[in-house]
Amino acid sequence: MNILAIVVAGILSQNFLLVKTMGICPFLGVSKKTDASLGMGIAVTFVMVLTCLVCYPLYVWVLVPTGLEYLEIIVFILVIASLVQILEMVLKKFIPGLYSAMGIYLPLITTNCAILGVAELVTVQAAVTTYLEALVYGLASGIGFTLVMIIMSGLRERVDRYNLAKPLKGFPIVLIVAGFMAMAFSMFTGINIGA
Amino acid sequence: MNMFTLFGFADVTIDWAAVGIGVGILVGLALVLSLLIVLISRFCEVKQDPRIDEVNELLAGANCGACGYPGCSGFAKALVEGKADLSACGQTNAANKIEISNILGVTLEGSTEPTIAVVACSGGNKCTDKYEYQGYGDCISQNLLAGGRKACETGCMGSGSCVTVCPYNCIECYDGYAHIDPDLCRSCGLCIKTCPKTLIKRVPVSAKVYVACSTNCRGKDVTTKCQAGCISCGICERSCPTGAIHLVNNVPIIDYSKCTNCETCLVKCPRHVIKHVHPQDDVVAVATDTKDTKATEQPKQ
Repeated sequence: MNILAIVVAGILSQNFLLVKTMGICPFLGVSKKTDASLGMGIAVTFVMVLTCLVCYPLYVWVLVPTGLEYLEIIVFILVIASLVQILEMVLKKFIPGLYSAMGIYLPLITTNCAILGVAELVTVQAAVTTYLEALVYGLASGIGFTLVMIIMSGLRERVDRYNLAKPLKGFPIVLIVAGFMAMAFSMFTGINIGA
Repeated sequence: MNMFTLFGFADVTIDWAAVGIGVGILVGLALVLSLLIVLISRFCEVKQDPRIDEVNELLAGANCGACGYPGCSGFAKALVEGKADLSACGQTNAANKIEISNILGVTLEGSTEPTIAVVACSGGNKCTDKYEYQGYGDCISQNLLAGGRKACETGCMGSGSCVTVCPYNCIECYDGYAHIDPDLCRSCGLCIKTCPKTLIKRVPVSAKVYVACSTNCRGKDVTTKCQAGCISCGICERSCPTGAIHLVNNVPIIDYSKCTNCETCLVKCPRHVIKHVHPQDDVVAVATDTKDTKATEQPKQ
């Protein structure tokens, strides 16, 4: 599996939100305003790369040699949560601008299923084979997440202005829009580069 | 007999070495990470004004956002930096406000008695409509179309713009106009800013009566439009023993600093425009003042 195939898979054909349906909570909860969803997307991308950076070596070099693969979920959640906590403090100290931009979203996503999903995929599910590929996969998945968040928030900002029938107002129309987007994205699953 | 045979796993043998390694790795990992967090939190401690935390502790903590800042912590930061005014917060209680003003070294202005909001209109279904509105169901958008559907210029349309903004869910629209539950209201002021007719006003929490009409029309015009409106007869102004009520622009205004809660105005008002702030007071009034209520129609809740 080459790098290009991983990038396409992460952004489009294996999109976390619309194809794998992971991380639906921020998808529906934070997609009301475009700037908020952009902040959320950047924070998710950041944490996804961090997750791959830490969980891949931990799994391959610690858990597999000791035969403790069954502990992955506990270990991953523990490591991700504490690293995000540390990262938050470091950001607050050294890059306060970035901290105020995505500070509120960082603690929200530490235990998001998309984050745990990316950790599982690069390790147990063996979607990638090398450390570099794992990092690229994390980055591409985060970009795909951000892309869908921005599209969704743009659509929602428009849909909210329409005079809809009462039963469709609010979340029902959002779910319908999400369904249509998922259908559109299912088209990309046909793309198969070098696999 | 151990616990495994009890649950039917008779032939389970436990690999204690594997359990030991697993526990060891988890405990080791947790210890390393917690040490890291402690060390980094010491190292990366951001020095901020200690007054911000103190002020934040004293604020109401409802995070309603009526002050215009993102939550109470944002307001506390703005207060310490001198950007915000303490009066922008409607619901921090008086004692805490005085304490905050001491921390900040500023003088506290304005009344220190907490307030609650009331809707200065009780027309609703008793007020006639100019036209039938079928558009987007919101007072703000309805008000754009010839000032709303009500015949009265200052009539509550009852379409609930205030209901949606209230963070405490204490406003309800029935009988065609908005009702505020005085026990739940914290006087954050969001509805006051939202109402396109500016019908929502603040009264002190100790107030028992309020004027439930805002019309500026003459009495004759009111009688043709609304059965619940004030006709500017002036009985309340004449009957008030402390002179707290004055007719201004054809509608009575109560000066609560002079009001003694005697409720003479409420009993005397022929149109029942002066109402109890707390609806449950109506029942008590009916039970005690049978003589007065027999003479006039009983006030509806």
